[in-house]
Amino acid sequence: MYPFGRGIARHLPLALLMLPLLLYVVFGFGPSVATIFFSFTNASGLPGVDWHFIGWHNYEKFFFSSDQQERIRSIGNSVYFAFAVVVIQNAIGLWMAILLNRKLKGDAFYRATFFLPVVLGVTVSGLVWRMMTNPLGGPMKEVYSWFGAKSTFFSSYDSAFEWIIFVQIWMYMGYSMTIFLAGLQSIPKDLYEAGHIDGTNRWQSFRHITFPMIAPSFTVNMMLSIIGALQTFDIIYVLTGGNFNTRTLAFDVFRDAIATNRTADYGLASAGAMIQFVFVFLVSVIVLIYLRRREVEL
Amino acid sequence: MLKKRLLLLLVCMMFVSVAAACGNGKEESSSSPSASAGSSAPASSASPAEEEVTLKIIHWINEPVNKYYEEFNKKFMERYPNIKVVYDVVPSDATYDQLQQTRINANDADLMALKSGFAPIPQEWAKGAEDPLWKQWIDAGLIADLSNQEFVKNYNPVDVQNSTTYNGKVYGINMGKVSFTGLYYNKKIFAENNLQVPKTWDEFVNVVKTLKDKGIAPIGFAGKDIWPLNLAVQGLSASVHKDQGSFIKGLWDGSTKFTDPVQIEILDKAQFMMQNAIDGFMGVDYASLPSLFISGQVAMIADGTWNAPTLKSGDASLEFGYFPIPGSNDAAQNASLAGKYDMSWVVLEKSKNKDAALKWLAMQSEPENYAAFVKASGFLPNADVTVDDPFINEIKPYLSNFKLAWDQLFINRANAGEHVNGSSIHAEFLAPAGPIKTSKELAELSQKEWDAAAPK
Repeated sequence: MYPFGRGIARHLPLALLMLPLLLYVVFGFGPSVATIFFSFTNASGLPGVDWHFIGWHNYEKFFFSSDQQERIRSIGNSVYFAFAVVVIQNAIGLWMAILLNRKLKGDAFYRATFFLPVVLGVTVSGLVWRMMTNPLGGPMKEVYSWFGAKSTFFSSYDSAFEWIIFVQIWMYMGYSMTIFLAGLQSIPKDLYEAGHIDGTNRWQSFRHITFPMIAPSFTVNMMLSIIGALQTFDIIYVLTGGNFNTRTLAFDVFRDAIATNRTADYGLASAGAMIQFVFVFLVSVIVLIYLRRREVEL
Repeated sequence: MLKKRLLLLLVCMMFVSVAAACGNGKEESSSSPSASAGSSAPASSASPAEEEVTLKIIHWINEPVNKYYEEFNKKFMERYPNIKVVYDVVPSDATYDQLQQTRINANDADLMALKSGFAPIPQEWAKGAEDPLWKQWIDAGLIADLSNQEFVKNYNPVDVQNSTTYNGKVYGINMGKVSFTGLYYNKKIFAENNLQVPKTWDEFVNVVKTLKDKGIAPIGFAGKDIWPLNLAVQGLSASVHKDQGSFIKGLWDGSTKFTDPVQIEILDKAQFMMQNAIDGFMGVDYASLPSLFISGQVAMIADGTWNAPTLKSGDASLEFGYFPIPGSNDAAQNASLAGKYDMSWVVLEKSKNKDAALKWLAMQSEPENYAAFVKASGFLPNADVTVDDPFINEIKPYLSNFKLAWDQLFINRANAGEHVNGSSIHAEFLAPAGPIKTSKELAELSQKEWDAAAPK
């Protein structure tokens, strides 16, 4: 009846919860709320410099300054980046998970290999691909030359952004794969046996057994990759520094807050962060509602 | 039951210790020097005047210079055994800008290196321009006034005036000048092909053509990082323009335009240089540029004089020189290098170790120490010290008429578009580096964005 004992000990679970809650409020929730506040000020981040409330000015500046075209392009880039990453990363992740779900020789090795880029982290992955695509003698230059093609890869206005998308997918497809694999392994084998007796072919058993059964992991993967992709700025920083038309909304927030060769503008960066938050929130909620409804229907 | 009580007690203790740790942290950071002095009490209690202090210095990575400072700091600590120097370096890109910002905010540095002297100087005619960061720092009272320090007199008054003086007060110590409007050339390749250092644009075109005909890539750029590519454009600008300062003023009042023939000429010549650069130059990052030159893959590279020590350390037998990019056909107009006042040291006003910081600057200004610095850095000295450096001696003739480069003079408008932002020179958008085909198109875009950013 008293799972946590009686008397003062009853409060133990609550007491244990307080510490992480306190840390979350101080280092997570607090700063997030402060961002809303700062987005209405002209705080520059310099100590000793006065700042005050300036209403919606930062938001106006974000959309209506003379460099607005670049900011709108950044938002467009964010959408393009998120769409491409979510679709391709999950498609490849699912495909790899299905392959590795079979009893393969050395499947543990493959799983580890595909997951490795996640462990390597952004900087190492970025450097690996910078070396791979070095236009003076990198291996990718060699591959291109087989087809008589030439590119400066991450320094090309035509393809730098697509290359970043490629690296992002390469980095995180192992992550999607792992979540799908967990989902696949929880499907009872007798479902397939029953299907087999009823004469399903491979496609039918995927369409009507596998896919519905992994709906929860599908939802998790979609949400994680959408939010992750819309917030990405680190890989862009490592690969192009935002040059060559590769800025995204998240990168612009970083650029405004921690700027090179110009004054940091915390107010503007906070406004950008709020715009990004609303954007990510809306997209996630819409997708989540759709996917949850789909899970129920199945 | 007892066990549970014990557990509860443990949890409570954990809370208290976390809270205490938080409190301690704050105290320590606000009085770190005295705390560190306290920890080694026996030494400091003997003579209170010799209180132990930790001098925190932040700087960026530049190998030859870092090496000099490590040596210098050792000597400094020998002379002042009570001062412990902590010398932190990080990459010179946005990482350093971020470090400056966070260390100032946390009051966690005593001496800080700035990437240049105070430039551009805010002007009456540039209304609505953003204040440069150094001015904001000074106005916010974050930088210590050094005007009355004896060691300032160890440097040429003209250089002190032009580099780190603002509103009649000296706020920093500038370490020397650099030029970046020239090209390094490989003497061996030039000699093998009977080439002379070009003094006019036509001669330069001839050098490029000769090299190309022989199958040698004439020029190397570090296009990936963009700014090194535009150093060459600044070289063209410095020699094509008769007076960059008045042209920039004209941009603000509308009497000159980015589409003026002189600007188109500069962009056309920049395009010529890019067309004759090594294949894939847009993928070369700045760190790889020296190896491209040292390995003899290109005959010339666009880079600043600060990188001469790196080239030398890469291959001691490499023979190279440096000449101003001859943008015009008037040899006299091409004959001088332009550049900037490079690194400056400032003392943070809120530093608790100001005394130690001033001692450090004073010791650095001593002629033999400064001469060693100049030798290590490849800077052109701000004091009359003799530097036994063949490279600096060789480029001396180009320096008799040292002028400031475009990016030290140009004042930008806030929120200017990407084709004109920063110091406004953007050859990276021009083919073959970028998507814009002709100089005229780029110039028109620049002017359009400049007009759009005009103060309302």
